[in-house]
Amino acid sequence: MVSKTRLDWLALAVTGTLTAVSLVWQHREANRSSGSRPANTTLIHSARRLNRGAGILAGAVLLDSAMEHYRGQFENRAMYTPLITATLSLLASSKGFADLTPHSGKLRNGIYIGTVLTGVAGSGFHLWNVTKRPGGFGWTNLFYSAPLGAPAALILSGVLGHYAERLRSETRNIVPRVLGLPAGQSMALMSAAGLIGTSAEAGLFHFRGSFQNPAMYLPVTAPPLSAVLLTASALAGANRPHLRWASRLCLRFTLLLGVAGACFHALGAARNHGGWRNWRQNLQAGPPLPAPPSFTGLALAGLAAQRLLDEEQSVKAHYLGWHP
Amino acid sequence: MSDDYLTDALRNPRGRDGRAPDVFRRGGWVPMREYPDDELVDFVIVGTGAGGGPLACRLAEAGFSVVAFDAGAWWRPLEEFASDEAHQEKLFWTGERLCDGDNPLKLGTNNSGRAVGGSTVHFAMVSLRFRPEWFKSRTLLGYGLDWPLDWQDMWRYYTEVEQALKISGPVRYPWGPKRPRYPYRQHEVNAPGLALARACEAMGIAWAPTPLATVSAPREHSPPCVYRGFCVTGCATNAKQSGLITWIPWAVKAGAEIRDLAMVGRIETGEDGLASGVHYHREGEWRFQRARNVVVAGYAIETPRLLLNSANSRYPDGLANSSGLVGKNLMVHTNQAVWGTLEEEVRWYKGPPSLSLSEHWNYEDSGKDFFGGYAFMSQGPLPAAWAGAQTGNHGLWGQALVDEMQKYNHQVGLKIVGETLPQERNCVTLADERDEFGLPVARVTWSECDNDRRLVNHAVDFMRRGLEGIDARDIWAEADGTAHLMGTARMGSDPATSVVNADCRSWDIPNLWICDGSVFPTSGGVNPSETIQAIALRTANRIRELARRGEL
Ligand SMILES: Cc1cc2nc3c(=O)[nH]c(=O)nc-3n(C[C@H](O)[C@H](O)[C@H](O)COP(=O)(O)OP(=O)(O)OC[C@H]3O[C@@H](n4cnc5c(N)ncnc54)[C@H](O)[C@@H]3O)c2cc1C
Ligand code: SF4
Repeated sequence: MVSKTRLDWLALAVTGTLTAVSLVWQHREANRSSGSRPANTTLIHSARRLNRGAGILAGAVLLDSAMEHYRGQFENRAMYTPLITATLSLLASSKGFADLTPHSGKLRNGIYIGTVLTGVAGSGFHLWNVTKRPGGFGWTNLFYSAPLGAPAALILSGVLGHYAERLRSETRNIVPRVLGLPAGQSMALMSAAGLIGTSAEAGLFHFRGSFQNPAMYLPVTAPPLSAVLLTASALAGANRPHLRWASRLCLRFTLLLGVAGACFHALGAARNHGGWRNWRQNLQAGPPLPAPPSFTGLALAGLAAQRLLDEEQSVKAHYLGWHP
Repeated sequence: MSDDYLTDALRNPRGRDGRAPDVFRRGGWVPMREYPDDELVDFVIVGTGAGGGPLACRLAEAGFSVVAFDAGAWWRPLEEFASDEAHQEKLFWTGERLCDGDNPLKLGTNNSGRAVGGSTVHFAMVSLRFRPEWFKSRTLLGYGLDWPLDWQDMWRYYTEVEQALKISGPVRYPWGPKRPRYPYRQHEVNAPGLALARACEAMGIAWAPTPLATVSAPREHSPPCVYRGFCVTGCATNAKQSGLITWIPWAVKAGAEIRDLAMVGRIETGEDGLASGVHYHREGEWRFQRARNVVVAGYAIETPRLLLNSANSRYPDGLANSSGLVGKNLMVHTNQAVWGTLEEEVRWYKGPPSLSLSEHWNYEDSGKDFFGGYAFMSQGPLPAAWAGAQTGNHGLWGQALVDEMQKYNHQVGLKIVGETLPQERNCVTLADERDEFGLPVARVTWSECDNDRRLVNHAVDFMRRGLEGIDARDIWAEADGTAHLMGTARMGSDPATSVVNADCRSWDIPNLWICDGSVFPTSGGVNPSETIQAIALRTANRIRELARRGEL
């Protein structure tokens, strides 16, 4: 039993706490990173962060698709695919995270590309599932048939991992570039896109849940804001320190929100009939526990992008002889 | 748990000693205000269903002293609602009634309840608005008669009901003028609902997920619906937003007293001709509660019965009956169905019984050889109810019945809520027989008219083609069947041709009100409870307004 007022207070308190923790964290981090590091370490460090982000996303997909496809009784053999690919991506990511060398892993990269392709195929499957039902692209199917956004998380996981590997192989270059853009920028844009997409999915499902808990507005506000700030700070260049500061703060908030979201989803599941005692049913019926951590993975990627942006600027400053 | 425990509420009144059952907590209680019999309370309300519940709540919230009576029990859904169709008959009004006419009604499970919360405790939760033109059907559509209500005014009260009950409805409703977004989203449409959708697509008409009074996401004390489909036998999870878990607890919180297992037998009038209180039977004795105003909200049969039973020397034909229309113009909704079998498994019992619907023939006026409209809905009868349809209207028995029941999980069906026309010969009168309280029982007379029959034929033919369009086999039509009851104390603008005015105030006795399904002048082609509740909220507002102006 949760009254409306209690939910209002809870949402406020959580927003306040997450903001406070983000601020403290930001403050500490600023002190710690004031000594500049050699470029190679930074790149590897960023690559590892990306591996970690990719791993978190893969883990989320693994749990989520395991639960949802189990619910769908693995009616179609293809429903096992995301479990296998996500597991592989998870393994590759933990391997990558442990890897301190500046060499990209061929096998890892292959797995990540496979992950992207599975994600694309999954999206196609889900799309087909939606359109073949009566009502087509109507709300009922968007709400209740195979979710269009879920396989996209697999794509994101693969893309993050692929980036990580590309980044490692760029350590020889002065200004590392990935996909034709300076690595920091391109990664910032990619993380921003991922945040927007994931937030759109949260928006769809929270709309389905009628935003009955005001905290449900958080994942449709904080991540898009993070995405906007991240994009802006990537495009604006070095002379906007406030923007960078705000973007980092917002990313940290989003990162923590991913964890808080899982707790909120646990509360949501407990508010189903029978509460936690009925967990076998309610984990399925309630909001998915593994979904919110996707934000954590993407926010990690965003923070890694921020670090790369810093790095690029200091390299530029070094070679061009000016200081930001 | 013994059966004794499950039926305790039928024997022992629970709204007493300053407390009421807390329907959200096992074994819990909440404080309830109580009024002594000799206190002159502002309002006595007879019946706590779709009409009486919201009215009691809003009047109490407005600061009036309110005592609401219900002949039925005060159930604790979490503890006392069994997943057993036979056992749950304890929710229905199964007291004796005599039924005659050309098409005698089958009363009981499909039309009326007897419980705190009234029929909303076991209703199917379908929550629809009237088509705006129906409020002026004589003027605009050429049949029936005009309501004294304005549709736009009603539109606002519909919104209020939908908000209060957190109706879960489609994002876009395909018919009628724009309506505000339903507070909760549509439910997932189950397999029989999708069969309706495919049938509609085959026939080229629109369909929609049904707006339902059960939540699709958590709401304060209600978990979201678990789609187990025991709705019409009483929802054991509290997902269903029945009066029992909404208006009634809110009313108690606002200071109303609810007396369960309290059968009102007679309304007393004083020397001034005004109502002075009610005689009621509770805990083995007759008692009398004094009141400034009496509201009757006992549903289309019990309301006229009580008014007629209250006849006295000053009002020999019964109360509020100078027009002679109390008990007249009883309307039902026709409830015919077409059934068929699909190749694939359907499992139609899963989820609320009507998760999708089409109101096409409510809003389309051409291509009809009848007046009025009908909606049709997907179906999911529980096994015993389905066996009942087989032995009854389908006439199967023995091996044929067994064979038919084997197909249960592959069955689909479409069923109408069809408008019938008001006819004076259709009526509720008093019989010579008496019930356990010594009160004359109701005689219920109903005969269909040609228009009613034409509507049904049109519907059955259309639905049959719909099922053929989705390759259903063994299609058969259930030609008999009625549901909701309306009329018998209709509202109007002229005391000569109606019983109450637009405010549900009786023309004859200004402190006697009628607020339930009996005030409907016409029946419309949609389930009535949302309209009844909207009328109740409007009446509460009007009473507040009249009180403010000193016109009560
Ligand atoms: C199985 C079923 C399914 C339904 N499904 C739907 C649906 O999906 N959608 C919809 O809109 N409608 C539905 N209805 C109809 C709807 O429930 C009724 O139209 C509505 O509840 C009627 O409201 P009311 O206030 O007139 O009467 P009720 O809700 O029946 O309330 C009347 C109450 O008054 C009490 N009472 C009567 N006489 C006395 C007396 N003398 N003394 C004390 N108490 C008395 C009774 O015990 C009862 O509790 C359904 C009905 C049934 C039976
Ligand atoms: S299907 Fe939903 S509304 Fe019906 S009884 Fe079950 S929980 Fe209640």
